[in-house]
Amino acid sequence: MSASDDIGGDHEGRNALVAEYVLGLLSTSEHERVGRLIEADAGLRAERDFWVARFAALDDEYAEVPPPAHLYAAIEARAFGEGQKRVSLWENLLIWRGIAAGALAVAIAAIGFNLLQPAPDVGTLTTQLVAALEEEGSDVKFVALYDGSGSVRLTALSGEDVPDRDFELWAIQGDNAPVSMGVIPVGERSTVTIAPEILAGWGEGSVLAITLEPEGGSPSGAPTGPIVAKGAVTRI
Amino acid sequence: MSTTAPSRDIADLIARCALRDRAAFRLLYERTSAKLFGVTLRILKDRSEAEEAIQEVYVKIWQRADRYVAGNTSPISWLVAVARNHALDKLRARRPAADDIDVALEIPDSGPSPERAAADSEERGRIEHCLGTLDPDRAEAVRGAYLDGYSYEELASRFAVPLNTMRTWLRRSLIKLKECLTT
Repeated sequence: MSASDDIGGDHEGRNALVAEYVLGLLSTSEHERVGRLIEADAGLRAERDFWVARFAALDDEYAEVPPPAHLYAAIEARAFGEGQKRVSLWENLLIWRGIAAGALAVAIAAIGFNLLQPAPDVGTLTTQLVAALEEEGSDVKFVALYDGSGSVRLTALSGEDVPDRDFELWAIQGDNAPVSMGVIPVGERSTVTIAPEILAGWGEGSVLAITLEPEGGSPSGAPTGPIVAKGAVTRI
Repeated sequence: MSTTAPSRDIADLIARCALRDRAAFRLLYERTSAKLFGVTLRILKDRSEAEEAIQEVYVKIWQRADRYVAGNTSPISWLVAVARNHALDKLRARRPAADDIDVALEIPDSGPSPERAAADSEERGRIEHCLGTLDPDRAEAVRGAYLDGYSYEELASRFAVPLNTMRTWLRRSLIKLKECLTT
């Protein structure tokens, strides 16, 4: 009997699938797909809440383990952005998402890096990195995500094309000269392939910058125009 | 700490976090972090990963405090769910994509809504009773999936049965469990 035979489209199968979702037994893509179906259907949401409430009765079995004392300061810094400009910018991103671009011209880019290798070894970690970039003089906002495939997915949250000019994305690592990651469109999603030499040195402290360049990008291979956004990459 | 803190106090602290009350966030952390760290540690089974995860979990709680709806879930259950789901997301990201099975599965129209959950203490006895109606191995597999975040592959290997057998076991057990819980 194949695994799907006994969960085929009946009512019981539906119950089992939602329960599997709540238990976390589904694969990533299936988990996301079922999650979307649940969100869109009040009956399935009720089914999910049913299982969440029932299984929560087992929560007592989780033993209490005090986390190391030093963690709280790091959590506050991340949550409140105290003493860390980049974190407060990230918080700002959440606010800006909900309001129209104002007089303050700000550009934001966030980048999530998943350093998971295709065939993970024991102990492989998934690391998420974020960079919030800001520079006065621009209303461009971006979110960029890296999913381990070797390319950055950029989503422009706001911003307008400048006639006869292009925005160019740069990676700055240590004291090295900025390395172009190519011209990026404003106002739409795009994918930027990361060159191996950039990927090799990528991590916390790397800087992502966006400059305004002549159409087609910098002719010299080095930034020539004003920086519209810049910020350091950090773990989240 | 967390288990002795009255549930209403925790709900109050979450509500104050939604209003950006930083002192409330600290109190919430003091009262609940041992429980939530226990969750991330048990699921991730790696101390440094669990430490990273617990930080992300509390940042999420700060950011999403306004999504907690008092009355729907007990506040500590909500917090545990945030921690557990975050740890499970990390586990899934760790796993190879190759364990993707049954992606074509469709969910038919839903039936009637289940009744509202009863009080927590009652629930606890209820789920234990219903797990007790399953074969001990299968009840243990369900608990392992919930508490330890075991995948079908891990469960199959722990119980030394083929993967498809484990999936069949688990699904039948969940259907049986549902019948028992709603009777």
